[in-house]
Amino acid sequence: MIQTAAFYSLSALVLASALAVVLHRNTVHSSLFLGLSLAGVAGLFALLGADFLFAAQIMVYVSGIAVLVMFAVMLLGRKSDLHLRQVNALWGYALAVCAISAAGLLKVARGFAAAAPAAAPVPSTAAVGRLFLGRYLLPFELVSLLLIAALLGAVFFSHSEPAEGPR
Amino acid sequence: MTLAHCVVVASLLFLIGVFGALTRRNIVGILMSIELMFNAANINLAAFDRFLHPQGAVGQTLAVFTMTVAAAEIVVGLALLLAIYRNTDTAYAEDYHLLKG
Repeated sequence: MIQTAAFYSLSALVLASALAVVLHRNTVHSSLFLGLSLAGVAGLFALLGADFLFAAQIMVYVSGIAVLVMFAVMLLGRKSDLHLRQVNALWGYALAVCAISAAGLLKVARGFAAAAPAAAPVPSTAAVGRLFLGRYLLPFELVSLLLIAALLGAVFFSHSEPAEGPR
Repeated sequence: MTLAHCVVVASLLFLIGVFGALTRRNIVGILMSIELMFNAANINLAAFDRFLHPQGAVGQTLAVFTMTVAAAEIVVGLALLLAIYRNTDTAYAEDYHLLKG
């Protein structure tokens, strides 16, 4: 009962703030709504019994990515942006694409209506850690390599002096 | 709350992200919409893990991988955007037509 109420309120929060992210004219407000939406997704993870995902979502998304996006918005923004249209001219076609995809996806979702929740969720952090260092060890190491590459790439591209080589 | 509810919420979040990625003019807005799509995929992974595979945690592990790739993507994307902004002085996608000749 309380689970159902929590699910519906968190879903409403996530979807409403996602719509605000997409439709808001002011990009700073849009990035703040992005943080709210990601926090709501963290709540959904907690509701689904994914405790490690909940913590990782808060640490990586809400306090990492949302803040980074906010920095970028404030570095790039201008005052004149507030009076410009933020949606391009082809939004009607995009809406049609989304409506058709929504029909298909909802038809797919109807097939899972019978799957009721199993027993109460158990903490899964230990199982996730065992999978990381066991079955998924190679992807785990590759992902750390990817993070190093992203770090170096970010430093390289945002360096203020132009690097040597053809430009 | 059944699996269908979670799938519906994830689908709607994904479609909102698709709409934003197709229609936002600002590059930062497009990157934010892509983050919404990644999150929809993560909700689906966690939900299928909870309802169809309750004794394992493979779906949650895959969701953590997704999260890592998303973090790397947004970091490199924003750095590239800063570098382009320094040269072209605009953050709107339709102004990036250097390759058109």
